Amino acid sequence: MSSTRDCDPTAPAGRRFTLPSPTLWPGVLALGFALAAAGLLSSKLLSLGGLALGVIGCIGWFFQVLPKEKHRAVEGPAEPAVIAVSRRRVSRIEVEGVHRARLPLEIYPISAGIKGGLAGAVAMAAAAMLYGAVAHRSVWYPINLLGAVVYAQTQVSTRQISAFHIELLLVATVLHITTSILVGLLYGAILPMLPRRPILVGGLFAPLAWTGLLYSVLDIIDPLLNQKISWPWFLASQVAFGLVAGLVVVRQARVPTWQYPLALRAGVETPGVMRETGRENSPS
Amino acid sequence: MASESIALTVHRSPLQVVYEWMATVDHKKIGLMYIVYALLFLVIMGIEAILMRIQLAHSNSTFLSPQVFNRLFTMHGTTGVFFVAMPILFGFANYLVPLMIGARDMAFPRLNAFSFWMTAFGGLLLYASFFAGKGFSQGGIAPDVGWFAYAPLTAPAFSPGHSTDYWTLSLLIAGVGSIGGAVNFIATIISMRCRGMTLSRMPLMAWMSLVMSSLVLVTISPLTAAQLMLMVDRYMGGHFFDTTAGGSVVIWIHFFWIFGHPEVYVLIIPCFGFISEIVPVFSRKAMFGYPAMVAASVGIGFVSLGVWAHHMFTVGMPSYGNAFFVLTTMVVAVPTGIKIFNWLATMWGGKIVFATPMIFCIGFLFQFLIAGLTGIMLATAPFDWQLANSYFVVAHFHYVIVGGILFSIFAAFYYWYPKITGRMLSEMLGKWHFWIFLIGFHLTFDFMHVPGLLGMPRRIYTYEAGRGWETWNMISSIGVIFQAAGILIFVYNMIQSYFRGTIAGNDPWDAWTLEWSTTSPPPEYDFATLPVVRSRRPLWDLKHPDDPDWKYE
Repeated sequence: MSSTRDCDPTAPAGRRFTLPSPTLWPGVLALGFALAAAGLLSSKLLSLGGLALGVIGCIGWFFQVLPKEKHRAVEGPAEPAVIAVSRRRVSRIEVEGVHRARLPLEIYPISAGIKGGLAGAVAMAAAAMLYGAVAHRSVWYPINLLGAVVYAQTQVSTRQISAFHIELLLVATVLHITTSILVGLLYGAILPMLPRRPILVGGLFAPLAWTGLLYSVLDIIDPLLNQKISWPWFLASQVAFGLVAGLVVVRQARVPTWQYPLALRAGVETPGVMRETGRENSPS
Repeated sequence: MASESIALTVHRSPLQVVYEWMATVDHKKIGLMYIVYALLFLVIMGIEAILMRIQLAHSNSTFLSPQVFNRLFTMHGTTGVFFVAMPILFGFANYLVPLMIGARDMAFPRLNAFSFWMTAFGGLLLYASFFAGKGFSQGGIAPDVGWFAYAPLTAPAFSPGHSTDYWTLSLLIAGVGSIGGAVNFIATIISMRCRGMTLSRMPLMAWMSLVMSSLVLVTISPLTAAQLMLMVDRYMGGHFFDTTAGGSVVIWIHFFWIFGHPEVYVLIIPCFGFISEIVPVFSRKAMFGYPAMVAASVGIGFVSLGVWAHHMFTVGMPSYGNAFFVLTTMVVAVPTGIKIFNWLATMWGGKIVFATPMIFCIGFLFQFLIAGLTGIMLATAPFDWQLANSYFVVAHFHYVIVGGILFSIFAAFYYWYPKITGRMLSEMLGKWHFWIFLIGFHLTFDFMHVPGLLGMPRRIYTYEAGRGWETWNMISSIGVIFQAAGILIFVYNMIQSYFRGTIAGNDPWDAWTLEWSTTSPPPEYDFATLPVVRSRRPLWDLKHPDDPDWKYE
């Protein structure tokens, strides 16, 4: 076991650093508290001993810092540690006019995601209503099912699900449009990062994965809803959403990513944000 | 330089070495004591887990009695949260934060020592309950009321003797240590940063320690208050939790979870710091979206204070209460998602080095995502009504605690061990550790979800045959063997590498934060010259003076 030697003040070599003196008193105080607590469960004597130890610990600690904090000097090296790098070569993604690039270089604007989401919402609704018309002779069937996810008062018959309910239409519309826009935004954010076959991923793979996940757990989450769902049609409507939303998103013009931080773009002058001026910045 | 080191080396007797460690106020030594202490308790809680998994491996098992099983899951949970996870994270933060912010020590070195000893004695007092039967009056058994000690189970009528009091008092004592540590971290981070290190340049690990400490200050207080109320109930005739005299057991549940849920974030937020330090270094890219990461972490800390009653959907709250806590819990997913996307974006396009710290981080990302998804499932009140108190919940939070927190702690060990000891951990053993532990983790906790879905309640000491739970439980128990093997490899690696590991040098990972600018292990004074910082990657600036970061931040 080795340690740094306490410094002799007269020693010529190296630098001296002033550090707090080691002390047992905080540990003694803690032991006193612990024994006082243990004594509550066993013997008053133990508690009294613990309290006495605590008082001794407090006094000892006070004298560590009062009237003047106790220190010791430690000798260090004359020179600080050398900082070197083994890898001098640095790869950078350079773009025109920018020395270091922020990835991705291009993204779809937020409006692309919203447009994609809304277009996908229409396609998905059309597919679902087609299912309702074909299977239950009512376009309201899938709408009522969706609305019932969050607004279901009682268990109802298939006939009642096929009827028109204004409150379920409103709930389903809000739910459908909100979710579609959010998923559209997700498509807008993710598709630029999928340079290979984004439509395949967004239009087929993602709906398939989502349907599979829901199929495996819906019986546990909502067994009643699970009984009413036709999974092939569910998958078809998801694919309709994915394909249309994906196609609309990728047809939008991409915009270059902002290559400077927000604070810099906003012209904010703060100690943590610096402009490239060519001269070395002084630390704030 | 070598001759200087030899000249400064003096040999000390074992007694002097013991004194040196017991009396130390050096943040690094205190950090190491926290870590070693937590590792010892990790082994103890691991043994408790193994015993429980042996018991549950097959139906109608009589390996453990119901009473012993109750004590084991109580001690396993309490130890894991209060005497393993918290101390180990406090230990890393103690060791690293002053080095990362360019300070010579913590703001209050003596308070730092006091905090450690309070935590240490708290843990010892808890385990003294095992031996109290012969030595102390009345007691003699370990606590058996679960780690959340719901009332009225803790009332004297249902919990005679002192076992519950050991639980209460040990957590009170450890809680004082936690608050002392939190005060110290906040003071250190706010007031002891080196020249040039503005908050916007501070390492994310330091930011996470700041958020974690703030949460500790807010959340330990309700727990302490509840424990004092419980003591009043048990010994001074109080009726806080006595429903027969106008008290309310629900008050205890609220108090406990006002502490308990943010506590999960107290544990996971420093782990976010580990991941945020390690992923950029092994992706060879700067952290993506640093301001968003800070904002998301502060946001998580803030929102986490308003989600506690999602543990109480089955208690019978009003529908508005349920709806509120469903929504606030869902909101946590937003900043958490930001963080996961930012870690992925940091890796994206980088030259990823699949060293052991990095593969543990990748394991964390995958598993923490799944833990978050099952968390969202449980945050949905109707879903929770079906699965509350089932093994699905146990699987979910072990996914957080083991798959998230423990994996990131392993990553931190492999990353900073060279700085702490001056020697590298073996990469080969590290990869063995990772893969074996990963297999064990997934065998145990993936398959643990299924009996939960099939209706197996948590905390039962055995179960009847023919319910469809046997196979899943057997697989879960087999997984523990792999996990234990992984831990053994890890322990062997640490011991073997301490004596025979490759010399690390000051900066073996070619990293960018200040701790790598000093020697390995660092001297008592941390830095021969206090650093001056101009960007979030000060060592990059020093290594690449032709192209420093400060021009672009």
